[in-house]
Amino acid sequence: MPETIKTTEVRVGDRLRGRSGVEMTVTRIDPSFFGSDEMVAFVEDTEQQWFKMPAPRDGEVELVSRGAE
Amino acid sequence: MSVINQLTGINGDPIDPSVVDGKAVLVVNVASKCGLTPQYEGLERLQQRYGSQAFTVLGIPCNQFAGQEPGTPEEISQFCSATYGATFPMTEKLDVNGRHRHALYDWLTASPDADGEAGEVQWNFEKFLVSPAGEVVARFRPQVEPEDDQVTSAIEAVLPGA
Repeated sequence: MPETIKTTEVRVGDRLRGRSGVEMTVTRIDPSFFGSDEMVAFVEDTEQQWFKMPAPRDGEVELVSRGAE
Repeated sequence: MSVINQLTGINGDPIDPSVVDGKAVLVVNVASKCGLTPQYEGLERLQQRYGSQAFTVLGIPCNQFAGQEPGTPEEISQFCSATYGATFPMTEKLDVNGRHRHALYDWLTASPDADGEAGEVQWNFEKFLVSPAGEVVARFRPQVEPEDDQVTSAIEAVLPGA
C-alpha cells in the first residue's frame, strides 16, 4: 500500500506521486496556489524535469520516498 | 518573430510561418484534464471572432502541471476538436518552465503580467499576446478568462487598423 502523509509533513527532497501517476522530487514548496493560502504547490526544478503539483494544505499526498535528512 | 514562427505542429510537421507572421497571436499553454480546460470554449470563440482580422490563438500542450496533458498528439488533437471544436493551430507538446523549456517560453516569460511579475508560467492556460510586429504586449494569468475584457481589449488594440 502506498504511504500517504499530510501535506504539511512534506519536505524538500521527498518524492511524491500525483493522481496522474507522475512522480516528482520536491525541490521547492510554494506556500500558496492561485493566491489561496489553503493550497500549497510542490515544485520539482531539476535537470530531469520541471513539474508542479498543488495540494490542499489540510489534505494528504502519496509519498514514494523520503528525501535525505 | 524568429521564435514563434519556427514551431512544430502537433502533427509533427513545421507550422507554416504564415500561420503567425504578421498576426496578433494569443499563445496559451493548454491541458486536457484541468479544471480550466473549458477555457477552450472561449479560446475558440476568440478564434472565430478575430480570426479573419489577422489574429490567431496558438495552443501549446504542456504536461508540466500535475500531469494534466498526458495524451499522445493524436489524443490531444481528437480531444480538442471533438470536445470543443477547436480550429486554432496547436504545437507539439512543449516544456514552458524549467531548464528544458522551449525557446518560445524563454522569450515569453521575460514579459511581466499586469502586476509587473515576470518569470515562471503559473499553471495551465496562461496567455501571452504577441503583436503583429512580434512584441509580447500582454500577459494574462490562468484565471483570466479568454473573453475577459482585458484580453479582448488588448487584442483589439493590436489588430491591424486599430
